[in-house]
Amino acid sequence: MATPRARILDLMRVSCRLFNTHFNPTGERTGNKILRERLKGPTLLQYYPKEQFSIKQFKRAFPDLSMSDEKEEIRLESVESHKLRGKGKPKKYKLGRERTAGKKKSKRK
Amino acid sequence: MSPLKGHFLSAGKPTHKLACFIQSRIFRDAYKREQFAKFEVERRALRFIIASNQFNARQKTEAQLQLTQLPVSSQPTKIKNRCTVGGRGRSVFREFKMGRFPFRLAALAGDLPGVKKASW
Repeated sequence: MATPRARILDLMRVSCRLFNTHFNPTGERTGNKILRERLKGPTLLQYYPKEQFSIKQFKRAFPDLSMSDEKEEIRLESVESHKLRGKGKPKKYKLGRERTAGKKKSKRK
Repeated sequence: MSPLKGHFLSAGKPTHKLACFIQSRIFRDAYKREQFAKFEVERRALRFIIASNQFNARQKTEAQLQLTQLPVSSQPTKIKNRCTVGGRGRSVFREFKMGRFPFRLAALAGDLPGVKKASW
């Protein structure tokens, strides 16, 4: 014996109420399917690990541990070699009275 | 009609530092992920307008046009899982985020718990 349509609709209505879903007996395209999807962005962002802290920060936080920062050491070495070749950073330019403060004044005759 | 804008893949850098193998292609992929996350809600709203029957044809067409105007870098299909050890784009194990060879090396070294060489 086939179940009458009205009874099936009643059942659907009740199930929709129970499971908190949208009652849509005619199967209209409401687009709810798209709104129901989870946002993927946060999980996709997790794929590549983010740098939580740099070695510099780690060294500053734990000065007791003798950590070696290889990149930093290489950089400092190159800075030293530049200095030896006279290619270091230029002297800071002083303005106005500061510039003449250290100099001896040559008296006019 | 004015030419459509935003059809090219704009280059960019991710806003955070990465702690894995650094390569321009990985950089680009990380940027695309960020862009996707940024535009995801907007994209979702436009897709909803297109798919639902609460809007008329004109509105739907408008939404379709706007969807095409979103930056290419924010399209989900542009995102590719790359090897975080060597940057390889093909034959990358999703579970381990590794290409086949780094995976083999790590597995043989016993760095991957639960992975062992099959033999029968």
